[in-house]
Amino acid sequence: MSLAETPPVKVKADRNGLTLVPDPAATFEAITAFMDERLAQSRDFFYETQMVLDLRIRPMRTDEISALCEKLYKKSKVKVVEVRLSDDLSFSVEGDPRKPPVPKRDGREPGNSAPVIVRNTCRSGVRIVSPSDCLVLGDVNPGAEIIAQGDVVVFGTLRGLAHAGAGGERAARIWALSIRPNQIRIADLVAVPPRGEKPAPNRYEVAEIQNEVIQVITI
Amino acid sequence: MAGKTIVVTSGKGGVGKTTTVANLGTTLAKKKYSVVMIDTDIGLRNLDVVMGLENRIVYNLVDVIEGKCRKEQAMIRDRKLSNLFIIPAAQTREKNSINPEQMKELCSSLAAEFDYVMIDCPAGIEQGFKNAIAGADNALVVTTPEVSAIRDADRVIGLLEAAMLKDISLIINRLNAKMVKKGDMMSTEDIISLLSVPLLGVVPESDEVVVSTNRGVPLVHEKGSKAGAAFRRIAARLNGENLPPEESESNGFFGRMKRLIWN
Repeated sequence: MSLAETPPVKVKADRNGLTLVPDPAATFEAITAFMDERLAQSRDFFYETQMVLDLRIRPMRTDEISALCEKLYKKSKVKVVEVRLSDDLSFSVEGDPRKPPVPKRDGREPGNSAPVIVRNTCRSGVRIVSPSDCLVLGDVNPGAEIIAQGDVVVFGTLRGLAHAGAGGERAARIWALSIRPNQIRIADLVAVPPRGEKPAPNRYEVAEIQNEVIQVITI
Repeated sequence: MAGKTIVVTSGKGGVGKTTTVANLGTTLAKKKYSVVMIDTDIGLRNLDVVMGLENRIVYNLVDVIEGKCRKEQAMIRDRKLSNLFIIPAAQTREKNSINPEQMKELCSSLAAEFDYVMIDCPAGIEQGFKNAIAGADNALVVTTPEVSAIRDADRVIGLLEAAMLKDISLIINRLNAKMVKKGDMMSTEDIISLLSVPLLGVVPESDEVVVSTNRGVPLVHEKGSKAGAAFRRIAARLNGENLPPEESESNGFFGRMKRLIWN
């Protein structure tokens, strides 16, 4: 390997450990061959270390990531403890690795972004902002805010603030097992719950815009 | 074995943190454990007043942390119990006079010598709160059955969980059973369903608390006080004893409490 070429993988060392940064121009085969060589050359240095794989500038498919991690472990018991990914995961799952990542566009594109999933109750003071849909597996307590460009789905009781269609999408909806919020917003409309008790929902409730007003449908 | 460091916090002010620290600390000391209580409410210290030890303050928490004195010099022994100590806060300093790392160090060195280190946290979620929780392994969140207190307790629990303090329990203070029955006050069940942390105990509303504070004698020293009895039971549960839940006038309440506490 001459000095004129950039190596397929940069091995960076900082006080937290070693980070592998693959070069965007490198093929997967070049990357694995390079790592093979480095591990063979500096066997003791790399043996049983922990490494971080930074794939933000040169993403890889999931099967490639697994193959690389396995190889590193097999060769020198190197454990990949973290894989850093860019914000756009679309071609990690299905794309051609040599294609550059799809640039982010304004506005929501139907069906290409996975929802942000929050796997616990959102306590007061928590603020979740999602560029797509947002799914909360738990309650949203008063004082918590869920803001999504798409739909908001709460698998629990919504007592805090939910804002669906935050970018202006009026077809967005808010779903919850029980909607008893401080305030809900869809696109540019705001609604507060009516005074007084209301009957408990049997299964779930949906809030959507009907006739220019936010309505909550109880099912 | 190192002692337990417990921070008593709430978010909202005036719900009974200092009262709780004073009474739990006293009860544990009566059970022959060595207890030190630290008041971290710098600038607005109260624990010394509630314990009746105001006149005995020479050194305080900030002096210890700044190295002006040894921690033994700042510790004031209780008038009645020889194994109960308090490290008072400074009244003329500010909350940024100490930082979380220093508190952590102090709490570990105290935990090596005492069975229980009780930390009285100030109200709020800023520097004072951050200092207080830094050295603790366990947290008791105190709340009253009132909407604003519960909102703040929820926020505080979120912050405690984010700070990796996993052992969090709840104390509901100033519960008025008559008002709950009438529907004017939130019930224990309502509170637990929102906050989702295990309940350590319920302390009923009581006029005696004000009297005991003014006198500087924690309530648990008196027999026949319902609030005092509640604090004694909470201290026992803190100590690991398995106590049955409190009785009350209505059966429904008893049944619900039983389910909640046994969890």
